[in-house]
Amino acid sequence: MDDNNFLDPLFRRWQRGVALTPEDKRAVAGLPWVRRPFSRDSYIVREGEPTTVCSLLVSGFAFRQKLVSDGARQIISIHIAGEFMDLQNILLEVADHNVQCLTRCVLAVVPKNAVADLMEARPTVKRAVWLDTLQDASIFREWVVNVGRRDAKERIAHLLCELAARLKAANPQGDGSNFDFPLTQEQIADCTGLTAVHTNRTLQTLRKDGLISLSSSRLSILDWDRLAELGDFHERYLHHAV
Amino acid sequence: MNRALDENPLELLIRKLKTHHDLTPEDHRALMALPMKLRTLESQSYTIREGDRPDRCAVLLSGYAVRHKLTGEGARQIVAIHIPGDAMDFQNMFLGESDHNVQMLTRGSVAEIARGPLEELVLGNPNIGRAVLLFTLVEASIFREWALNIGRRDARSRIAHLLCEFAYRMATQGLCPDGLYELPMTQEQLADATGLTSVHVNRVLQALQREGLIERDRRMVRFVSWEGMRDVGDFNPRYLHTREFHAGPAI
Repeated sequence: MDDNNFLDPLFRRWQRGVALTPEDKRAVAGLPWVRRPFSRDSYIVREGEPTTVCSLLVSGFAFRQKLVSDGARQIISIHIAGEFMDLQNILLEVADHNVQCLTRCVLAVVPKNAVADLMEARPTVKRAVWLDTLQDASIFREWVVNVGRRDAKERIAHLLCELAARLKAANPQGDGSNFDFPLTQEQIADCTGLTAVHTNRTLQTLRKDGLISLSSSRLSILDWDRLAELGDFHERYLHHAV
Repeated sequence: MNRALDENPLELLIRKLKTHHDLTPEDHRALMALPMKLRTLESQSYTIREGDRPDRCAVLLSGYAVRHKLTGEGARQIVAIHIPGDAMDFQNMFLGESDHNVQMLTRGSVAEIARGPLEELVLGNPNIGRAVLLFTLVEASIFREWALNIGRRDARSRIAHLLCEFAYRMATQGLCPDGLYELPMTQEQLADATGLTSVHVNRVLQALQREGLIERDRRMVRFVSWEGMRDVGDFNPRYLHTREFHAGPAI
């Protein structure tokens, strides 16, 4: 691809943890990226299928999910622009979960072997990729805690804080309290292990208490301190400062 | 394989890494040359606490441990159970602060590898790097499955799933002869691993026993019906990514 600006959000994120040289960046830009549009709800990776590519989210939102055999869905993580969605699969041969678009998305796709080869050639890139997967894993752990040991209000408050904190870190120039928020109530329920009815009621409480406003895909956090306290949210697990 | 290799405490870790990826004799030697210290740990002691700067990686040699996090109110969620051969801090490599605790469930021993030489080895040696990265990715897969287990399965399936996972991992590591294994967890700890109360856990274990799926004698558990437990627990070992997956479990 001629225009490599799409890599800037990725480099900014990686540079929180590693010192990329201009050669490292050129080598990443030199991978055989292919940009592809995806429609809302379409699958990027399906559980049980062999994994062959890595996908960088250029624009839009995506999520990871798994199903139990009776069809109930658990969303495992949300992904924002500038994040890789299947580095988790880089050495795994068969996908153990689904990755799906939450909105219309543009992905930059690259064969996973090309990324693996680059990791061997460039230790700093290897460190960055590895760090990326470990940060993902930390978020997975926190979500286990969230569904396992917090009540409905706390779970949803925690989810909103996490997404806001990650969007803020990705866009420090933003106003810090208004965000694109593409999740439906059903999807919020699937993130938090709740029913849609319970989620609806809990969101209404958060609104009534003056903590958030949420409408037509926009989230406004009206009182960050109270929302973070309610959600028991502490940024350490995001490892924004490594 | 020569005896000297067998006697190195890290042989257990190497066996575990090899369930996912081939290592050469040179890789063995490089891993075994890592500077390490052996430590004996009492039950309940911590190998790392949330907020600590991880400067070493503990490999569990004997006994059992858990990875857990606490909420602001002090409620505990166990996010992984560790058995001998597990490297408990590969998840902390390259990270500045630990985001969780690792605590012994029983008395046991660990080999502590210094973080600097470990990071150098995994970044510098492509094959060992692959094996260790793969190990951390499989752990991440297990975290994902736990989010699903707690978020979307009922109490009975959650407990059965946890027992199946533990049995499968023990069998893969050769620690589960005849489908019989020691479950080193109290009912309270099982509750903390499944997001339930200990009363609920007790009820489910009794039901599984009554239905002839498992037998229990104190902390010893035997799977009477692997298929039955697998069905109750909605357990599909794909997420463990072991090479034995296609051959089926040895239990």
